[in-house]
Amino acid sequence: MKKIFLTLTIYFISLNSLFALIEVDITRGNLDPLPIAVSPLHVDVKSGEHEGIKVKELGNNISAIIEKNFKNTGLFNPLKKEAFVQKPDIAHLKPRFEDWRLIKAQALVTGKLLVKDGKLKVEFRLWDLTAAKEMTALAFTTTPANWRRVAHIISDKIYERLTGEEGYFDTRIIYVAESGPKDQRVKKLGIMDQDGANTKYLTLGNELVLTPRFNPTNQMVTYLSYFRNMPRVYLLDIETGMQEVVGNFPGMTFAPRFSPDGKKIIMSFAEDGNSDIYTMDLETRVVERITNHSSIDTSPSFSPDGKYITFNSDRSGLQQIYVMRSDGSGVKRITFGTGIYGTPVWSPRGDLIAFTKVRKGRFYIGVMRTDGSGERLLTENFYQEAPSWSPNGRVLVFYRETKAGAKGEGFSATLWSIDITGYNERKLTTKTDASDPSWSSLLSK
Amino acid sequence: MTKSLIYSLIFHSVMILLTVLTLPFMIRQPIDLPPIVSVELIQISDKTNIPFAPKARKIIEETKKKEERVVSEQAPPAAKAKEKPDRIPLPDEKKEKKQIVKKKQNPEEIEPQIRQSSEFEKKEIVDTNQIAALIDKAKEEEAIKKNKIDKLTQSNVKNSFATGLTLSEEDALRAQIFGCWSVPLGLPYDEDLLVRIKLKLKKDGTIMKSEILDHQRMNRPGQKFYKVLAESALRAVRLCQPLKVPPTGYEKWKDIQLNFNPEEMLKG
Amino acid sequence: MTFNTNLKNIFLVIFTTLILSACSTAKKSGNMDGDVYTGKETVKYLASGVPDRVFFATNKSSLTTASRATLRKQATYLRKNKKLNVTIEGHADERGTREYNLALGERRANAAKDYLMTYGISGKRISTISYGKEKPVNPASSTLAWSQNRRSVTVKVN
Repeated sequence: MKKIFLTLTIYFISLNSLFALIEVDITRGNLDPLPIAVSPLHVDVKSGEHEGIKVKELGNNISAIIEKNFKNTGLFNPLKKEAFVQKPDIAHLKPRFEDWRLIKAQALVTGKLLVKDGKLKVEFRLWDLTAAKEMTALAFTTTPANWRRVAHIISDKIYERLTGEEGYFDTRIIYVAESGPKDQRVKKLGIMDQDGANTKYLTLGNELVLTPRFNPTNQMVTYLSYFRNMPRVYLLDIETGMQEVVGNFPGMTFAPRFSPDGKKIIMSFAEDGNSDIYTMDLETRVVERITNHSSIDTSPSFSPDGKYITFNSDRSGLQQIYVMRSDGSGVKRITFGTGIYGTPVWSPRGDLIAFTKVRKGRFYIGVMRTDGSGERLLTENFYQEAPSWSPNGRVLVFYRETKAGAKGEGFSATLWSIDITGYNERKLTTKTDASDPSWSSLLSK
Repeated sequence: MTKSLIYSLIFHSVMILLTVLTLPFMIRQPIDLPPIVSVELIQISDKTNIPFAPKARKIIEETKKKEERVVSEQAPPAAKAKEKPDRIPLPDEKKEKKQIVKKKQNPEEIEPQIRQSSEFEKKEIVDTNQIAALIDKAKEEEAIKKNKIDKLTQSNVKNSFATGLTLSEEDALRAQIFGCWSVPLGLPYDEDLLVRIKLKLKKDGTIMKSEILDHQRMNRPGQKFYKVLAESALRAVRLCQPLKVPPTGYEKWKDIQLNFNPEEMLKG
Repeated sequence: MTFNTNLKNIFLVIFTTLILSACSTAKKSGNMDGDVYTGKETVKYLASGVPDRVFFATNKSSLTTASRATLRKQATYLRKNKKLNVTIEGHADERGTREYNLALGERRANAAKDYLMTYGISGKRISTISYGKEKPVNPASSTLAWSQNRRSVTVKVN
């Protein structure tokens, strides 16, 4: 009997050794940002002068913008320049990979630029240092005044190559620039690059302006203005500065947004105290009523395919989030948690809805799937609301207000952003206090 | 005559049974073992010497933090008299069930830490009676197949026999790659993203050859996430060279396949 | 003996009732009725004895008894001064989302307007405007300030 058992054992063991390939499952890694070296761009000696631009420093300035963009994502760790081993011009031609790897970099960005005959030509390369080969190479030609946008476009290309996602650096943010005491705020429409540069004001601050939003081509803005003490939705052309009221409504219109094709404006109209959702076609001027309910219906937001609308309604007694078809049919409530929900915004990827939640006196910014499931609260604060999506659907920008003392002292409003993973919460730089931010789509599209 | 016939039949059927039951060992399910496993194992087994405790701790803390982030409160609304009759009825029950299931899973993820040490005391006893182990494992294997939720204890014991590496060696390898792999956070977590890399190693742990299975998928349109994930996996593997490998048994581990699956990290 | 215990019980009941009713009156004292401001601090007057504003509970636009009394006074005043037109401003506190607060302010302004109209004031004499949370009368971040900001204010236009 023992012999039988022995044979069995040997048979079994030999069976194992036949299949010798070991498989190991790797299901975890680290969340450390990718160490990347951004070499200053080499300025071609043939470059001439250009008015208003320090051509010699352009190489450094462009790489500085790229570095800052990467650092702000929380996904990349740009390494300090002091450690760089090769000069920009040589690195761009033939980087010595082993040397760059010594400073623990895993990716390298190199490039060169030429300013000549009123044109700026930029070329960059992205290298994979562990594989020792080039990953991407691209060249751009534009006017020298656009050098910041070139830096942002390069950042987008690299970001996309390394994460698979579209970037969001070549974008602008429109917001309400605030100043003055809390009970007498002066508000103007402000617009800036997403990194805080190139701030411009689009209105003068003589009347209250609120909730501005871009159209899909980023050339128009729709917002609420109290011009002549009549709160109405307006349209503003960013280039010309021309403003016009939207439609001819006998009462307050507010909470405006564009449809994904840019042809309509969707908003709330308050009639005899009751707010319902309407759309107006900008070309035909045809007004269509979308909701017809005795409750407050507001904050409408289209899905990116234009087929659905998510909005805020208190028809159940308290503010909750609903989804309906774009013709107003099929209204479905999607939030059921404790607390109130507001400001629903549909992600440009179509997969999530961002919102504000208030529960037990605390304000939350969160995301959920479009059927209301998978609710995730990303951040909590004394007061924060109104998230807006980056064009790649990965980052939210929103605003916060601080507690004020008995005379309103200590009050401030600031813009913040956070990843949808809940990581990387950071404050945006604005020249003044700011609120009601809205993110543009990629400018280069 | 009949006696030996019966013996022969029994012997043959047992052989066949064992073969059939052994084969499933080869096709393993992807198992998830939290990093803490390697910490416990290092203390008990004296074969390899991997100082990875600090990194494992960091990963554990980050996992715990991620678990705290998930907040879902789904309570059905109180009925309101104001409701209009044409409103679409809402699936309240479905949401409640989801919540209950979720609650059950959470405690299980944390418990394995405690169970680990007791499982290892058991292992010593198992070694002295291999036949009993074979039969026990056969039963366990079927249970695992039916049960999608990973039970740490059973799968550990199963690994040791199937891979030919001891548990400490395999988990040491896993811990090393954990440290080197920067997971691209931008990946969508509801897509099938599994990158399998076959490695041929030299005796000193450096890589002789690496090959991505499903290589063609990388260049297909719409698969750029797969490409990004594959590249990150390759980077991890190259960065980790030379891999810390056992001093003996080269034949066992010279061919390794690493299955990179970021699903768990992205869900957090 | 039983008589004594009965007496004791009765006293206990009376005593407890007094205490409890005292507690409930505490809610109404001061300047709050539940969540609604009842004080006079921020109140201005259209004329002697005619307060210019009414207050609301959080997220609500319903009128309290006190609010209705104030509005009746306003209605009387407006009936006497037939040439006077007014604008009713609706406001909300800052503890909510901006767009919803605009809608809430509108509702509150109209709640006051509708009530005035039931007392015979023509709708043509009353316009409404909502300021949401944009024009607080008390800039502090306190429950008192918030209750003072939840208001509908009647403003003379001419």
